[in-house]
Amino acid sequence: MSPNGQARGKNITIPDNVYTIILALAFCAVLATAAYVAYQCNQQYGTIFKIPT
Amino acid sequence: MSTLTKVLIVLLTISSIFLCGIVVTYVSNAENYRQMYNTLKTDKNAAVENEKNAKKQRQEAIDAANALEQKLNDQINALKIQVGQLGTQLAEAKRKADEAVAQENIWRDINTKFLSTNEDLRKLLEDKLAELKSVDARRIQGDKELNETTATLIQKMAIIDSLEKQSKLLLEEKTDLQNQLGTHLQKTGQTVATPVTVTPLKETARVAIPAVDIGLNGLITTVDMENSLAEISIGGANGVKQNMKFHVTRADKFICDIVILDVEPENAIGTLELMDVTKEQPKPGDNVSTNL
Repeated sequence: MSPNGQARGKNITIPDNVYTIILALAFCAVLATAAYVAYQCNQQYGTIFKIPT
Repeated sequence: MSTLTKVLIVLLTISSIFLCGIVVTYVSNAENYRQMYNTLKTDKNAAVENEKNAKKQRQEAIDAANALEQKLNDQINALKIQVGQLGTQLAEAKRKADEAVAQENIWRDINTKFLSTNEDLRKLLEDKLAELKSVDARRIQGDKELNETTATLIQKMAIIDSLEKQSKLLLEEKTDLQNQLGTHLQKTGQTVATPVTVTPLKETARVAIPAVDIGLNGLITTVDMENSLAEISIGGANGVKQNMKFHVTRADKFICDIVILDVEPENAIGTLELMDVTKEQPKPGDNVSTNL
């Protein structure tokens, strides 16, 4: 995150925001997966948390 | 931010994406048990309905079978009754057949006896016909003799008639001579003596056979007034005998008597007596009887 690092080593550095974005993508993927599973459960069994009788 | 944190972020992200992919794949490929449940439930309901229908059809088939069985049992009972009746009729028919056979034997025996009797009667008839022929021959011969006798009788009656006429003439001449002799003798005061015949006449009385209890009746068939003869319809076969006296009547009138001279089996001939010339004369058809 510091501009000093980039100047000193000239190594490819990834900004910290990228990791935040990656982490957000992971969260979005998990959230989408949970929503999809919830939708499927509601679609097939009519409930999300209870066991259908 | 430390490197470890960055590595963990990357690993967390990769593992999250991997696990999310696995979960999505699993959920997507998981079987829809609710749909399967509904399908199975529908299939179960259909199966139950089919079972009901099958039971209903089975019950209907059982009912139809029972009805058919009842109907067949009724038919079997009716046929059994009919078989019984036919058996009774068969027994009756056999009994009647036996009776008919017995009757046939009886009639056969009767027919045999009848044929033998008929044969005997035929022989008897032939014998009687032969006898009848012989009797006819004798009757024809008797008729001839009767005709000859009748002709002789008529001739003799004619002779008697002529003799009676001569006798009447002689009596008239005798009376005239007696009258003349009487008138002649009266003049001289004498009387005529009673004439005495040389051969005194003897009246031969014909005694009629008493026929009070005989009770014969017949008819006059022929009358010969010239010879005072008559033929009647009864003869010796009816009991008529010679010299028998018959009274001739017409309605309630007495006509005359007939004294039988000649008797034949079927008729008889006699002379007419007590006949009044001034009254009715006998004729064919008048009744003759021994008793008035």
